[in-house]
Amino acid sequence: MHETMDMADDPEYDEEEPSFSDSEDYVDDIEEDELLSDLMREKPLEADGIDSVVVVDNVPQVGPERLEKLKNVVNKIFSKFGKITNEFWPMDNGMTKGYIFLEYLAPTQAQEAVKNADGYKLDKQHTFRVNVFTDFDKYMNISDEWETPEKQDFKDFGNMRHWTEDPDCRDHFSVIYESGERTAIYANDAKESITVEERARWTETYVRWSPKGTYLATFHQRGIALWGGEKFKQIQRFSHQGVSLIDFSPCERYVVTFSPLMDTKEDPQAIIIWDILTGQKKRGFHCESSAHWPIFKWSHDGKFFARMTQDTLSIYEAPSMGLLDKKSLKIFGIKDFSWSPGDNVIAYWVPEDKDIPARVTLSQMPTREEIRVRNLFNVVDCKLHWQRNGDYLCVKVDRTPKGTPGVVTNFEIFRMREKQVPVDVVEMKEGIIAFAWEPNGSKFAVLHGESPRINSSFYHVKNNGKIDLIKSFDKQQANSIFWSPQGQFLVLAGLRSMNGALAFVDTSDCTMMNIAEHYMASDVEWDPTGRYVVTSVSWWSHKVDNAYWLWTFQGRLLQKNNKDRFCQLLWRPRPATLLGVEEIKVIKKDLKKYSKIFEQKDRLSQSKASKELVDKRRAMMDEYRLYREAAVQTLLEQKDLRLELRGGVDTDELDSNVEDWEEETIEFFINEEIIPLGDLRLLETFMLEFLWIWHLTNSSSFPLCVMCPVHPCLCEVTRPVGVNGGARGPRSESWGSSQIPTFHISDITKTKRARIVTPAAPGESVEIYSASLFITFFLFLDKDSFNNWSFSIFLSALSPIVTSDLAVNPVWVTAGQRGVP
Amino acid sequence: MKPILLQGHERSITQIKYNREGDLLFSVAKDTVVNAWYSVNGERLGTYNGHTGAVWCVDCDWDTKNVLTGSADNSCRLWDCETGKQLALLETSSAVRTCGFDFSGNIIMFSTDKQMGYQCFLNFFDLRDPQQIKDNQPYMTVPCSESKITSAVWGPLGDYVIAGHESGEMNQFSAKSGEVLKKIKEHTKQINDMQSSVDLTMVISASKDNTAKLFDSTTLDHIKTFKTERPVNSAAISPIMDHVVMGGGQEAMEVTTTSTRIGKFEARFFHAAYEEEFGRVKGHFGPINCVAFHPDGKRNDRKQPGNCSTFTLRTTSSCPSDSSAEPQRLQQRGRGRLREDSLLRPTLL
Repeated sequence: MHETMDMADDPEYDEEEPSFSDSEDYVDDIEEDELLSDLMREKPLEADGIDSVVVVDNVPQVGPERLEKLKNVVNKIFSKFGKITNEFWPMDNGMTKGYIFLEYLAPTQAQEAVKNADGYKLDKQHTFRVNVFTDFDKYMNISDEWETPEKQDFKDFGNMRHWTEDPDCRDHFSVIYESGERTAIYANDAKESITVEERARWTETYVRWSPKGTYLATFHQRGIALWGGEKFKQIQRFSHQGVSLIDFSPCERYVVTFSPLMDTKEDPQAIIIWDILTGQKKRGFHCESSAHWPIFKWSHDGKFFARMTQDTLSIYEAPSMGLLDKKSLKIFGIKDFSWSPGDNVIAYWVPEDKDIPARVTLSQMPTREEIRVRNLFNVVDCKLHWQRNGDYLCVKVDRTPKGTPGVVTNFEIFRMREKQVPVDVVEMKEGIIAFAWEPNGSKFAVLHGESPRINSSFYHVKNNGKIDLIKSFDKQQANSIFWSPQGQFLVLAGLRSMNGALAFVDTSDCTMMNIAEHYMASDVEWDPTGRYVVTSVSWWSHKVDNAYWLWTFQGRLLQKNNKDRFCQLLWRPRPATLLGVEEIKVIKKDLKKYSKIFEQKDRLSQSKASKELVDKRRAMMDEYRLYREAAVQTLLEQKDLRLELRGGVDTDELDSNVEDWEEETIEFFINEEIIPLGDLRLLETFMLEFLWIWHLTNSSSFPLCVMCPVHPCLCEVTRPVGVNGGARGPRSESWGSSQIPTFHISDITKTKRARIVTPAAPGESVEIYSASLFITFFLFLDKDSFNNWSFSIFLSALSPIVTSDLAVNPVWVTAGQRGVP
Repeated sequence: MKPILLQGHERSITQIKYNREGDLLFSVAKDTVVNAWYSVNGERLGTYNGHTGAVWCVDCDWDTKNVLTGSADNSCRLWDCETGKQLALLETSSAVRTCGFDFSGNIIMFSTDKQMGYQCFLNFFDLRDPQQIKDNQPYMTVPCSESKITSAVWGPLGDYVIAGHESGEMNQFSAKSGEVLKKIKEHTKQINDMQSSVDLTMVISASKDNTAKLFDSTTLDHIKTFKTERPVNSAAISPIMDHVVMGGGQEAMEVTTTSTRIGKFEARFFHAAYEEEFGRVKGHFGPINCVAFHPDGKRNDRKQPGNCSTFTLRTTSSCPSDSSAEPQRLQQRGRGRLREDSLLRPTLL
């Protein structure tokens, strides 16, 4: 009270408060929802209470005498879920009807009652069926008649394999460039690839082809899209938020997608398997990490897929997507497994465990019969390498044998096509950098050794199990092996850190067909026919010079394609050939016949192309000439204007006003070399002697000239340049001791001049000016001639002749070039 | 063929220019010195001293009387070519980026940078009116508010100035009214350099977008495009052949982390009609900042940061051989450091 009084006294509070109320004609146009949306959400709603009612069936039918007792029992059961506010026991002829209605305080309690009391066994005859009352309405409304689902139109995407029908047998490849902004599909041609399709922002990250090349998968934040057909129309969409990895089944029926987001306990969604044709989700799986993608490995026919977890190998069946025989294989310590690409055989290995040796097991599926077990000792690591047809399995075994330091590598070669699956061993002495099987042969290539001493070796597995080393190359610049899909040829590449060195090898006779380089190359991709190979520098690994180069299988460079921020090139795989073994044989036999046709075709297209090129260049030149002629014409027309602007001086040509030029001779110091002379006094003596001779024979005026008695050289002496501002020409005065005379020595046959300056005083160095012309004068003192008080000048080649017996070191003199106006 | 190495700058070269006859070569750099050289052998004629900041541009009038330089010291200076006397000092509010004499040598233009709150201006002075110089009052000043001028040359007959902008666009500004006569945008990134052909009918622009483009001076019609993989810092048109030469390379920022091999510091020769590269001269170990053709077309000079090297070379075998094209390697007296020969020996393709 006291305070308010004070405030009232305060003059500031005398001021009238501003009015916050609405003016009279104000119309409130804001809805309450808008204003108080957060509060309005909690506004109690009117409810008819039906939600809170449950119907209980199979209640015993009793007369009034036992009703009370039953009610007590029922109440006891149902009041566990909430307070029952209302109950109704329908009666018929004094008996209860066998069903009751119970109303709870809230719908949630009713739900709880349904969840828990449904199926409650009261006694042998009576099992409660509890339902929410509203459900009755819902189920009543279901139509009794069968409604046939609407027929989905078959979408015709045209021939999904149209590209295989190309008459010139051009293979497709996808290119992502401009850091992923643009994606294009090209049809490869030795001369210039043809654009099939090009789109901006087709994919958000990268693309993948399906194993037979039918579909192109693009990645988007919301899922995967598949494209195909002639015009690359969208064929299917799989909605998987944040998808980052995919894998196709080899039969192209299913696609497996992985997303690091979206996984919940109830609903496994990290990995989803989809049916490509229907677009339906077949099954979801949990997944903790995507480190070893693909997590699910498919058998070659796409009938099974397997996944490895701790001590377990789970094999699933398509199309049910359920576990094979409803249980997983328990394999303690399983480290890695792999399907044979040719049969339904699975290979896996387990490391050593105390006394049990490490094991590599081959197991037939779906029978789970173990067809081969190989025990190994002192194993550090194993790697499973299948040959593409499944004919061979190579297990690279790193071992630490007792008694030897370091790791030793063995190749255990399993011959799958023979009885009992025999195993042969190849021991390698050096560390292994890369290993690769010939895709459809029995050879394999190995890179071994330590950088920079890397060797490449080629082995051949013979039918009798003998493994021959065919050839070894040493000092290779390589860290990866890329076999042609047809075998025989391969590329050894030194990717990334090895600057992109490439070696093209023919393994039939093991020759290096070519050695080349694609600087900083990051990828090598063979086309599916094995005719071409592409090396590329991806923007993802290197930020400049992003390009892909096309080579023939022999290593002849065909094209250099520089694409701005080029990211990825992928060849479109081809489906398996439809030709049988016999038909291929026939074709191979008639190869000569075909090659003639192709050669003719090549020649034709080549001459056409060269004609096109010539025409194009001619057109470019003509166009340019035409432009230049027009420009020169205008130039001529403007000549008067130009003359006017430059005061009548014609400057159109560099020498158009040559008569105005003043000729001036300028001399330059062009070069200097400082060579200390051994005995300067001697040189000086010589010079003085020379001057003395001159003094005797000539008048005292400049320049002094003496002909060399031995060679067609003229020696003249002038006043020094640069002492008195570079005075030149005759001077009729003798020089003082401080002034240094200059000697010019001229080769009169070549009219070139050189110049020597004598030292000012003994102990100082001699300066010799020389220009880099070819004739070098060589000046030295001959002991005899010195004694005879004479001198010689010799013309010599460039190399100095050491005249150690002479008192003066050779003096380098070269002819100086006169200044040019 | 051996290059002549000129050493007269302590920081990177910004521009080089021959006079009309080609007997003199002017060079400016980020140090404050303006050098004039005898082109025949690389002897230094002298320096024009006075600037206190990096010198961005240089030009010489047609009769080699005056030299014009623009600098980051917010001044444009006019020198007497022969004596080295400073004839005029034109002060500006921001760095002078480009400058040039018109065909008659009477009118000069220079552009200023958009910096320190000032926008880019293109200024015109008439040297016949000493009052303009005295008052530092150009007869016309054209503001360029959108994108600053990074390079400019006079059109033929001095009617207009062709300016290349930071945004990659090119404008023709009338020297009479200051209005924009033509406007094109062929480049996607900054234009680093523009040079005219010797008869002024064509201009070539070098851009950061890795291309150089040839235009008609009058119509600004795009004629040819020359593509490389690196930013182009400078381009020049041969006075006698249908050739252009381009210099550039990886930007200096990135060079420290990559090798010279990745930098691609070669001077590249393209055929003007075919747009094809036919020759390359190696030898630089940093980006080339400026290239210029000798007016007789037989020599071509390229500049890079650090040292200033003149390369004497025949561009094609059809060029007559003369004494100036003979291999020579000359060095200055008591100036600069000696560079190793092997680094400077260019390889002709």
